[in-house]
Order: sequence, then C-alpha cells, then structure tokens
Amino acid sequence: MRRLYRLLLKLYPVRFREEFSAPLERQFADDRRDARHAGERARFYLRTLADLVITIPREILREAGQDLRYAARVYRKRAVATALAFGALALAIGATTGVFGVVNALLIRSLPFRQPDRLVEVANPPVSPLGGRADYDAWLANSGFLAGAAAYFPTQMNLAIGPQTSHVQIAEVSANLFDVLGTPAVFGRTFAPGEDRQGRDNVAVISYALWQQYFGGDPRVLGTAIRLNGTPLAVIGVAPPAFDFPRRTAVWTPTVMDYGLLPQDGVFYASMVGRLKTGLPLATANASYSADRATRESLARNRQFARNGLLPDAMIPRLVPLRDQLAGPVRQSSLVLLALVAFALLIACANVAQLLLARVGERRQELAIRGALGASRARLVQQLIVESTLLTTLAAVAGLAVARWTARVAAAAQPVRMAAQDYSALDWRVFAFAILLAALTGLLFGVLPAMLIGRTQTAGDPLRSRAGHGCSGAGRMRTGLLAIQGAVALVLVSGSLVLGRGFLHLVRADLGFRAADVVTLNVSLAGTRWDSENRLAQYYQSALARLRAIPGVQSAAAVQYLPLIDHMYGATGLQLDSGHKVSPVIFNSATPDYFRVMGTPILDGRDFEASDRAGAERVAIVNQEFVSQLGAGPHIVGQRLTALFPKGRTYLIVGVCGSARLHGPSDSFVPQIFLPVDQSPPGFATFVARVQGAAGASLAAARDAVRQAAPEVPIYDVKSLDRRLAEALARPRFYTTAVIFFGVFALLLAVVGTYGAAAYAVTQRTHEMGIRLAVGASPAGLRALLLRQNLAPLAVGVAFGVVAAALFGRYLQSLVAGAEPAGAAACTAAAATLGATAALAVWIATSRIAAIDPTAALRAE
Amino acid sequence: MAKVDEFLPMPLPSFHMLLALSEGERHGYALKREILRRTNGKLNLAAGALYGSISRMLDQGLIEESAERPDSHLDDERRRYYRITPLGRRVVHAEAVRLQQLVRLAEDSLGLPELA
Repeated sequence: MRRLYRLLLKLYPVRFREEFSAPLERQFADDRRDARHAGERARFYLRTLADLVITIPREILREAGQDLRYAARVYRKRAVATALAFGALALAIGATTGVFGVVNALLIRSLPFRQPDRLVEVANPPVSPLGGRADYDAWLANSGFLAGAAAYFPTQMNLAIGPQTSHVQIAEVSANLFDVLGTPAVFGRTFAPGEDRQGRDNVAVISYALWQQYFGGDPRVLGTAIRLNGTPLAVIGVAPPAFDFPRRTAVWTPTVMDYGLLPQDGVFYASMVGRLKTGLPLATANASYSADRATRESLARNRQFARNGLLPDAMIPRLVPLRDQLAGPVRQSSLVLLALVAFALLIACANVAQLLLARVGERRQELAIRGALGASRARLVQQLIVESTLLTTLAAVAGLAVARWTARVAAAAQPVRMAAQDYSALDWRVFAFAILLAALTGLLFGVLPAMLIGRTQTAGDPLRSRAGHGCSGAGRMRTGLLAIQGAVALVLVSGSLVLGRGFLHLVRADLGFRAADVVTLNVSLAGTRWDSENRLAQYYQSALARLRAIPGVQSAAAVQYLPLIDHMYGATGLQLDSGHKVSPVIFNSATPDYFRVMGTPILDGRDFEASDRAGAERVAIVNQEFVSQLGAGPHIVGQRLTALFPKGRTYLIVGVCGSARLHGPSDSFVPQIFLPVDQSPPGFATFVARVQGAAGASLAAARDAVRQAAPEVPIYDVKSLDRRLAEALARPRFYTTAVIFFGVFALLLAVVGTYGAAAYAVTQRTHEMGIRLAVGASPAGLRALLLRQNLAPLAVGVAFGVVAAALFGRYLQSLVAGAEPAGAAACTAAAATLGATAALAVWIATSRIAAIDPTAALRAE
Repeated sequence: MAKVDEFLPMPLPSFHMLLALSEGERHGYALKREILRRTNGKLNLAAGALYGSISRMLDQGLIEESAERPDSHLDDERRRYYRITPLGRRVVHAEAVRLQQLVRLAEDSLGLPELA
C-alpha cells in the first residue's frame, strides 16, 4: 500500500513533490498505524484517495501558475528574441494547420456517402451508356469486383422554373446512382430501379439548396414541373443538404442511358462510380479490372486515341478511390504544400530551440545558483517546459488566425468540386492538429534545452565550453540545429528560385491573345425559343448589335469556345485534297471581328465577313499550329479541307490566324479550325468586347445590353478576360507565392540563427578573446576565425540541402507547370545567397570583438 | 496593513494551523494531531490537504521552516518543523477579529444568548 501511495505521489508537480513527499509518506504511515480496525482502515484509504484527487490538480494548477508568471517575466526581459520566436512559430504553426485543413477537407474528412472508402471511380470503363443498357448491365453482372456501379455525366444546362431561367450544374445519371452511393432523399424519393428507361425517365431529383432557393423549402415541390434545356421533368425528391456529387450539382436526372432526351451540344462523356464488393481489397479489385477481357478489348480500341495524345491518363483502366478522384490534381499539390510548411515549421522550431539553448547557456549562472539553492534538475526542466509550452500555446492561438487565412487563400486557388470538401475551420481534426502541433513543437524545443541542463550545470569552465565547437552537449546540439536550418533553407530557397522562374515563364508566355480590356460573358440558348439553326444566328447578330452600340466598345464578337474556359471539345480530323491531314482538330465557331477583339493576328487571308452566311460556300479559318502540323507549306489559303467526320463536308480555307493557348499559359498550342457562326451556329457562346479603359467598369453595361436582346436567355460568368487569366494563374501563383514566402522565411530564420550563435559565441568567449588579443591576435583575424567556425555547420547543412533538393525538388517542381527541376544553377544560387547573408550576419554579430579591451576582459573574469 | 486584508477570510484549516503554530513550533504531523484534538476530531486533515496548506502559507510568508530542532533524541531527521512569522501572527489576529465581529453581528441579529 505504501508503495502504491509513493507511486501516486509522483503525480504531484515537481516542486511540491520534492518538498513534501517525505513528510506526506511519513504521515500516510502514521495515519495508517492510527487506524486500527478494518472499518477505520477502509475509511482511511477512501479519505486518502479523496485527498489525492482533490489536492493533486490544485497543486499542479498552483505550480503551473507560478511557473507561468516566472516565464512571462523571463520573456518580457528579452522582448525582441521572444517576439521573433513567437512570430516564426505562429506563422509556421498557422500555415501548417491551414494547409492541413485543406488536406483534411480533401483527403481525410469523410464524404457524405455510405462507407465512402468502398467507393471507386472506374476510370475508362469498357462500357458506355451510349452502348445501351444491355451491354452495361451484362458487364456489371460479370464483373467479379463491383457490388454496383452507376454512370454519371456532369454538365451544365438551362433550368427553367416558371418564368425564371438560369444556367446550372446538372448530372445525367443512371437510376441507381443514389443507391450505389448509399444516399437517400431527404424529402420525396430518389430514382426507382428501371426509372432510367426511355419513357419513364422524365423525372428529377433537386439539390437541397435549389429547393430552398427556388421553392422556399415548400413540400409541394414534389410533382412540380421543371424544364432542363426546354425538356419538362417532374421533381420527385430532394437530395440531402451536403450532397452535390459529382460537382456542385443542382439537378439529377436518370437520363444518362437516354442520350438525347435533354438536348445539348457538346461532348458526351459518362464516368462510372462503383462500390467494391464487401471485403475485397482495392488492389485485388484493380488487378481483376485490368485483367477483365472487356477492359483489354476497350483499351486496344482506344490505343489509337492514346497515340494521338488525347486523354492519355483516362486511357489507363484503373479503380481510383473516389476520394482521390474527387480531390483531383490538387491532391499531390496539397500534400507537397503540407510537406513544405512542415519544413518551415521544423526550421522555426530549430530556431526557437536554438534561442532557448543560448538562453540556457546565458542562464547557466542563474541555474547553477538555483541548483545550489536546492532546485533540482527536474524542477528546472519543468520550468523550461512551461516556458516553451506558454510560447507555443500562444503561438498556436495566433496561428489559428493565420490558418484561417491560409485556408481561404488555398481554397480560392484550388477550388473544390463538392460542398463536402469545403474547408471549415471548425473541424475538430484541424483543432486537434493545431493542438498536437503546439504540443509537439513545445516538447521539441522545450525538452531539448531541458535535457542539456544536467550537462550545463557541470560544464563550468568557460574556456572549455566554446560555442560552435561541439565540446558541450549544448554546443553540439546548436551546431546540429544550425545545420538543419541550413539544409531546409537551401531546399526552400532553391525551390523558390525554380518556381519563381517557372511562374515568370507562365506569366510571360505568349497566349496568342491579349487579355487586357476585354469584357466576356457567357450565354446558353439551349431550350430557349432561339434554339433552332436559323434563329441562333439571328440572336447573336441582334445581341452583338446592342453590344457594339455601348459607348466605349471598340469591337465585339461571339465565339463558341473561348480560351481559359474549361470545355470538352469536339474534335475530328481534316485533310487536304493533296492527302495532307491533321487529326484531331478542335472545331470552333466565331463571328467576324473575333480575332480583332482578342488581338490574335490574321497571318494570311482574311477574317470572316458578313457574306459568310448560311447557304453561302462553307469557309474556315485555321490556326498556325494547324498549318504547321499539316505540313503542306505555309500557303494553304484558297485550298479546301475535307472533314473525316461527318464524312465529306468541305471547307474553303479563307484565312490563317495565330495560335492561342486554350487552357492558359501552361497549355501548348493545338490545331484549331474556326467556322463562321452564321454557317455553324453553336447553342452556347461567349461574347467578347474590347473596350476603352478598364473592362471591369463595362461589365454591367455589356450584360444589360445582351439581356435586352433576349431577356429569357441566361447570362453567366460575366468577367473581364483579365480576370479569367488571373483565375487560370491562381493556382501556380499561390504555390509560387507560398514557396517563395517560405524560402524567404527559412533564409531569414537561418540568418537570424547564425547571427544569434555568433553573438552568443562572442559573449561567452570574451575571456578567451581577451587572451587571444593580449597575445597578439588581430580583431579581424578573430572575426575571421568566428566566421569560419559559425559557417562550418551551415555549410554542412547546405551540402545535405543540395542532396535533399535533388531528391525532393521534383515534387516542388510539380506545383507549377513548366518549372524546371532544381539544377546546379539554382542550388548554387541558393547556397551563395545563404552563405553571403549568413556571413554578413556573423560579421555584424562579431563587430563587438574590435571593441574588446584585453585587459578589461581578463580582469572581468 | 492592507497586506493583511489580502489574506482574509482565511480557509479554516489554515486558520487552525496558524493558531496552533502561534503556541510554538510544530512539525506537520503534530500540527494535524493538534488540530484534530482542538476540533474534537471534526477537522482531520489528510496529508495532501495539510501539506498543500503548508506549502501555500510558506509561499505567502505566513509561516517558515524552522532551522532549530528540539532535542535530537526526540527528533526524527525526516520531520520538518514550522513556525509562524510576524506576518502570520498579524494575519491570524486579524482573522480572529473578523470572526469575532461576525459572531457579534449574529448575536445582535438573532439574539443568541452569550455562549459560556
């Protein structure tokens, strides 16, 4: 019993325990002796237990309060160093937490489906809904690894509810989508089996948000008719609030097998989401999938496309965990970013630990005195841990603000596909992460110095404990920390150089058009009264006439596919009579003046003209990339192109325009052919207008003008072309900014660390310096000595950093398309920057040496 | 004497301990026995509570550890003796006065008979 009590006494805080554990134990023995009967004994044990339960927390709180007050005093005395450490920690903890929040939202947090971990995206399925139900069901029935699979096709359509028409995200799906995902309707019902058959499929499930927004949550919504691209559908149910699979979907229709019920132009490409059979591991399922006969046949058929570089990734049949599929391309970037900020945190920790280590050194005398007065090592360790915990906790609190901000910027730079992936600062995991991070960093830089106390208390001789020489434990650890900082700083600095150059490359890339001063807005005519071959052209003419009438508009035009907008393009091959051909070629429609508005040059021939109307000879303008791939010489204006699909249609080439990058600066040029809108009117288009002065000021006027032409046509994405470009660059800009920011951060901390170490060495070695000066050393020589000694650990770190940059550089490089790997040049530049700034820091830190008076220094000891 | 007021009102165990110590130095266990006797067994301080109060009063400067020991044959090496400080004396006095005034107030309001 007494042994147990002694063990429990260890729960008291250090000072109380050291002071009183002997008397406590003694009284325990006395009291127990006094309790004679079994009843009294039992009462005594209960009372002792109650006493421990009440007094242990009380004593812990009291002692922590004392330690905290003392810590606050210590920190107040060195305000500058503390502020620096605090800032570095807050920033690093905050950024790490913020990026973790994004990773959490994308990759960790559960999706709003039943057993989401069993859901997979079936990439490149061998069957398509276009092939008909029978094929689909037969393949599914024979697949040994899927318990169920649903087809879905996300697209945008005009949604008419009563007189209102808007352009919304919809998903054409198979009837079992909700069953496969395991999501029931929150109101009404989801699709019944077989409801995706022709004749039964004119029904729709709407999103919760749509229900609230358009119907005010009215239960009478069931049975209401809505129109998608003009086709009437009956609402049968409402999806749960958080559910918007596959991407921000507002309406689901079971029409994926009935292509054509909802009219649309554009490319149809259905994806498949499946649920793995119970208990089947993903790897096994994946092996079965690739071994599947149908898959292999489909792959063989698609080789042709793969050779042409079309959708190379989707050509590989695989099962991808749905979560990874939804996270998409930002998955890797987010993880790289997390690693990056973790590095920044590491360097901040190393820096603060170094600060505290120096403090342990400086406080050696104080600690020695306190030790002599009976303060044990454990007591001092507790004090140091409280000091560091105070700093990290406060830094973590401040860091939460940084985290919110980081996550907001990150979310804007890499928008998510579903509401369920939205970042939320109130997520318990993010909080837990921040707390864990604070605790870990506190331990990391609180315990390290604490561990050294025992040694510093014995290392009394100032001549033997030369800083940077690695004689004492503290010195060795300081050297190690400096090396770590050097290594991390080199990786980050060389990374920022690489990304910075890559980003500049993107910004300077020739887009093939001029983005400044252009207003753009999208319209979709599907299902409106303009939706017929001859009325479409009429609409564009009337809207363009109104646009051109706006004061300040220099020229205006319409185009089917504007660069910088994500589209699925229709593409086919084209050939000259001579047999030269290009495949695939992206088809696009444009009105006259489109190239003028965009600032794309007509290199040969002419622009479209009003005379290129329906019924006249079919004409076309091809881009420069088309001409070079065709390989029939530069002068092809006047020749005729024949389409490979639909076969036999011919176009007279009237002009050659410059190439444009369709998806923004990181994209390459692709062959394109433009047809006049009057001869090939698209069901949706983007109006573009070059204006005088800022485009932002003309947006409203442009929108109003187009609306006047036909108020029932939905207009969306009214933005300047500049803004579209900025959005296309948002992600690389964000990554570049982040890497450069942390590169500078790391550089700064490494320099501050070096400065601190050098300054500390000077104060600690004043006596030695005095001797050296007295025997004839020059101050400059001494400073050079210190320079060598302090830069040595940094140099070792830099060497490691070069290796690390070679190993990890390609991950960093993947953040910005077109960035080159960190080569010798970037590493050399980073090492030179680091070395030069650190040398400068040491030189400044050692300037005091010149002022040392040898006799005074010796007498002081 | 503002400093004395800061300690008032005192927790009952501390008050008893100061009272007992004002009669002479004692070690912890003796203090506990003495308080037990004075309160007719009603206030039985467990070890943690006892030394918690002692620790707090040491920090507050109300008591101090005594360097002198009684005759060594009576003493156990491990025992620590405590004595009241001048501040402790002032505080315990002020607390007694406060309690006295409180009792007077109660007498006036309730008309309690004088206690023997």
